[in-house]
Amino acid sequence: MSECTSSATRRRSSLPDEAASVFADHAAGAPLRPAVAAAMVAALNGGPPNPSGAHRAARSAAMVLDGARRRIADELGADAADVVLTGGGTESCALGLLGPRNPSAVCISAIEHVAVRRAAEVAAARRGVELIVLPVDSQGRFDLEAALALVPDGALVSVMAANNETGVIEPIAELSRALRADRSILLHCDAIAAAPFSSIAELWPDVDLLSIAGHKVGGPPGVGVLVASRDLDLEAIVPGGSQESGRRAGTQDVAGATGLAVALEEVARERQLGQIAELAHRRDVLAKALSSSPGVAITSDGADRLAGHLHLTLPGVRSEEVLVLLDRAGIAASAGAACASGAPETSQVLLAMGMDERRARSALRLTMGVSTTSAAWDRLAEVVPEVLSSLAR
Amino acid sequence: MGEPGGRLGAVNVLVAMSGGVDSSSAAALLLEQGHQVTGVTLRLWGGPSDAGCCSVSDVEDARQVAAELGIDHHVFNMSEEFETHVVAPYVAEHAAGRTPNPCIECNRHLKFTALLAAADRLGFDRLATGHHARIVVADGGAQLWRGVDSAKDQSYVLSMLTPAKLDRVMLPIGELTKAEVRAVAVSHGLRTAAKAESQDTCFISSSIGRRGFLAERTDLTPGALVERESGDVVGEVAHLQLVTVGQRKGLGVDALGQHRVAVAIDPVGHRVLVAAPDEALVDQVRFDQGSLTWTGLPLLPGEPTLVQMRSHGEPRLATFAEAALHLVDPVDPVAPGQTVAFYDSVEPDRVRGSAVVIP
Repeated sequence: MSECTSSATRRRSSLPDEAASVFADHAAGAPLRPAVAAAMVAALNGGPPNPSGAHRAARSAAMVLDGARRRIADELGADAADVVLTGGGTESCALGLLGPRNPSAVCISAIEHVAVRRAAEVAAARRGVELIVLPVDSQGRFDLEAALALVPDGALVSVMAANNETGVIEPIAELSRALRADRSILLHCDAIAAAPFSSIAELWPDVDLLSIAGHKVGGPPGVGVLVASRDLDLEAIVPGGSQESGRRAGTQDVAGATGLAVALEEVARERQLGQIAELAHRRDVLAKALSSSPGVAITSDGADRLAGHLHLTLPGVRSEEVLVLLDRAGIAASAGAACASGAPETSQVLLAMGMDERRARSALRLTMGVSTTSAAWDRLAEVVPEVLSSLAR
Repeated sequence: MGEPGGRLGAVNVLVAMSGGVDSSSAAALLLEQGHQVTGVTLRLWGGPSDAGCCSVSDVEDARQVAAELGIDHHVFNMSEEFETHVVAPYVAEHAAGRTPNPCIECNRHLKFTALLAAADRLGFDRLATGHHARIVVADGGAQLWRGVDSAKDQSYVLSMLTPAKLDRVMLPIGELTKAEVRAVAVSHGLRTAAKAESQDTCFISSSIGRRGFLAERTDLTPGALVERESGDVVGEVAHLQLVTVGQRKGLGVDALGQHRVAVAIDPVGHRVLVAAPDEALVDQVRFDQGSLTWTGLPLLPGEPTLVQMRSHGEPRLATFAEAALHLVDPVDPVAPGQTVAFYDSVEPDRVRGSAVVIP
């Protein structure tokens, strides 16, 4: 056999220049904030991590956890007792859908994340009730009239605060008010995509259950929160100990909770400093530049969208090929929701909005954050149109 | 794209990685040869599957092998094309009483058309696969030859490639035996080194089976077994769409105690024509002229050729004519829908072309 180049060397040589690389897939998971990492390391080094125990070390860990929980609750506008720490966003949604004991029906919007879709299917089957899907319009916004007609009294309703693919911000307050006017419902809100940009504290009063995930806000992956009033009777989905007031068994992740608290505080600060508004402006400038390429359509252009989201389509081009060329140029982007197999499926969100299959197959999602540098924005404006035009037929 | 790579300096090559040992080693060999290698795995099938080309665990294997080799890896979702060009025709052909070869259709439409086109658009010089077959450059052109390991040879399922496509393809493991292929994987510490080979149709899981799969997508109907010579009804089959021309199993025995052989499937007339084994033999195989593909130099009418009618079927000497092959020694009837591959009569490892059998 001939000599084999060391794979490490090859790997390095095939990677683009560090300086030229752009991470435009924040919606899949935002870069870990340095302050989060520092706080987590401190918490991990603080001693034995299990806050349950009859000794000083456990009490010390419990104190750190209590502090983190309080800070998380403050950022979410909730009471610390309403914060259920989970193993991530998917688990939060699962508890939000499977926890309520006696819904008369389970209603979800047509554009929910697969974590909610699957949990809703299981919940409906387990409780022996109907699963009702609520339509959206061509911009991906909830159809309030349809929701009013479809949601029965006593239903568990799950809707997202903003869509993870298109970034469209949904009218949760209006929906909540309209539905509650003449019926009793339980409203779960998947605020995972919205949390890096929107105020959760403003959202929480309108809903009964709310999910967020650490890694979307630049916090740690594997940490999530379900906010649920302590009076709400929730059936735990993980059997075991009585942690989290019996709502979620298992040793709590003290460092993870600490990291999430820091991340949420930074997000709030970014909002206060106007950095989110600035992000939206930069996104709009890029969107304008990209939409001048022939055939490119910015998705949900007429709707309010999350500041960091830019979703576009170019019929005839295939998402996978766009991503290969962007990857080669050092740009990390996605076609939509991150998929475990790595192969983009045609987006159910786009199809639910009435988009035709061919256009939906061409989807490109660029998601940026406050940490995205000017050089990165410039590079996106330069490379993305080149890539799209090289593949357009 | 210029001359076939591997011999004339380094090229930028996209290697189709199924998650099996052959394509894993193909990627490793291309790296050893100094090429710039990128892996791609096709997600072809969303339904249940045991393994081989289609399942999520195979995609995962391919991704990890690429990581072990230090090459970039992408996953393309071609499930729509797979449905259109492979699965739907597979069902339609069975419904029409024919026996398709889905691997050949996948190679024809997916790997060597859609993927090759994608490789072109993405600026790759070549597309490589882990097939056991060789591309030999001679007389100024690329020729397709059998793989060195005759037991593993896959030239049959590539016999629909044209010279223009061969020019853009690399088959790095065709020069190796299967044992050598595994040794390459072992030497690179690849997780697929000892992985079992995929068998059967990748989109049909063993739990559902061919009958279960087809029953979900088309009507399976009973058929009378009719003796071709006498016209007598001699029995019945539960699902005539599952009978293959040339089949002996499950069709009963005649008065002489010989297994009957299916010689024709007639879904419209709800019958399967059968004959005694020696009466069933044919010395001519007709093919669809529209399906003729020349991989190398076209055969001339009257020219002798070795023909292979199944994946690992034995080559038979025949004479090529415009619409049929005349076999020197009679053979069991060949199922319509199957591909017949032509090999050179003088250089029996060299593929000349292929066509699809018709009744």
